[in-house]
Amino acid sequence: MSLYYRRRNTNLVATTLCWGAAAFGLSWLVMILGALVFEGAKGLSLDVFTQNTPPPGSAGGLLNAMAGSLIMTIIGVAVGGPLGMLAGTYMAEYGRYSKLTVIIRFINDILLSAPSIVIGLFVYTALVARMGHFSAISGAAALAILVIPVVLRTTEDMLLLVPGSLREASTALGLPRSYVIQRVAYRAAKSGLVTGVLLAVARVSGETAPLLFTSLNNQFWSLDLNAPMASLPVVIFQFALSPYKDWQQLAWTGALLVTATVLILSIAARTLSRQRTSK
Amino acid sequence: MTVMPVLNTDLPTKLSVRNLDFFYGDNQALKSMTMGLRTNKVTAFIGPSGCGKSTLLRVLNRMYDLYPKQRAQGEVLLDGENILDPGVDVNLLRARVGMVFQKPTPFPMSIYDNIAFGIRLYEKLSKADLDERVEDALRGAALWEEVKDKLHMSGLGLSGGQQQRLCIARSVAVQPEVILFDEPCSALDPISTAKVEELIDELSERYTIAIVTHNMQQAVRVSDYTAFMYLGELIEFGETDSVFTTPREKRTQDYITGRFG
Repeated sequence: MSLYYRRRNTNLVATTLCWGAAAFGLSWLVMILGALVFEGAKGLSLDVFTQNTPPPGSAGGLLNAMAGSLIMTIIGVAVGGPLGMLAGTYMAEYGRYSKLTVIIRFINDILLSAPSIVIGLFVYTALVARMGHFSAISGAAALAILVIPVVLRTTEDMLLLVPGSLREASTALGLPRSYVIQRVAYRAAKSGLVTGVLLAVARVSGETAPLLFTSLNNQFWSLDLNAPMASLPVVIFQFALSPYKDWQQLAWTGALLVTATVLILSIAARTLSRQRTSK
Repeated sequence: MTVMPVLNTDLPTKLSVRNLDFFYGDNQALKSMTMGLRTNKVTAFIGPSGCGKSTLLRVLNRMYDLYPKQRAQGEVLLDGENILDPGVDVNLLRARVGMVFQKPTPFPMSIYDNIAFGIRLYEKLSKADLDERVEDALRGAALWEEVKDKLHMSGLGLSGGQQQRLCIARSVAVQPEVILFDEPCSALDPISTAKVEELIDELSERYTIAIVTHNMQQAVRVSDYTAFMYLGELIEFGETDSVFTTPREKRTQDYITGRFG
């Protein structure tokens, strides 16, 4: 009987420790989010969405930074997404048994966990230095490079989850391989593939380091892809470090906006992937 | 030791297998198989697990092509043409030799599209003609009455037995010449099984059928010919009645009476 009681006590202690660890971790998250919402909401007004970033000491908003983030993220995902998806398709479908796939997967894993500042430096050397100036297009290129490994990984994983029996069944009808992939495998993995793209958007929309080396920043409204462009993360970085109260306030608000966007995208991704599993 | 089949040789042969060897890497799964599928008859393949029954089916529509390190040697003649020739268009071959699998595999699309999908690949039909073909296929698979009001619902929402009949309808819809059934009832309840067996019987009027089964009674019920395989070899092949009542081989007798396997 004493064995039983000892086991019960051990269980109690272990459970308490688990709870404690979880609560400890979560409390920081709650405090960060709380501070963010508290500080960020103070600065929320229509101006934030309609005015460009101000010079120190005057009123303004984040319009140009939001537009810049949107443009560079869209271009980055539009370029990196299809590349990652095609590569992932190759790995899961055509090259499933080839050595090349193993090599690509290894390199992709490195790319996936590479610090984003390294990507920024790479694009700086490859594009910015050669062009002679910072530009939105090189910022988008850096984001595209960050999108590729995320999309590639989820595409491969999701296609590998499509049961082989489904592939065999469609092949047995006489479908060429390309049809099997487009009409059956993609369709079966659809929500997973969308999730991958959403996760990639969430990842790059908060990236600061690669943009510091590429698109830099712009005080003014600019849609010129060949010129420096403002973005939320870089504006937050610059304003938060500034000594000016109104800039610091805009940085808080910008941080709240980025966090809210990422949160919404993550929830969308989760909901989509849940739909997938419940089917 | 392979026993040459003693059969009524007057009947035409749709598919004939000659000296077929099959390998998974270095592992030989079929050893110089020789036999034939009679036109518009049902041939059952029985034998313990791992004897090569399913492997044989997967050679007949070259499904093994999907995987590396699997290869076949010998001849498989479909209407006299060797389908193992490297020049054969495997997609056309698979359209002529359909396959129904052990587990139902409906595509993630509507019931209607599950059927129409394969038809659209080979024929350009008007909406009305396509509707008719879909209905014919579903009627052919005894499923029409159950699904006619929900054709646009997902095929994944059907019961297991219905899904399997949907898969049969899908195979029939592209108008193949041969249909291969790989343990089509092993995941089904007895009522669904009875329906599928009835269906196979009806289909044999128009198609040449091969069925792999672990169920002896099923082999007796649905087939005209039975092949007993063991360890990659064809042990006995003949008319179902004689194989089950007066087997010539002791191993066949032991297997069908449940003494091994």
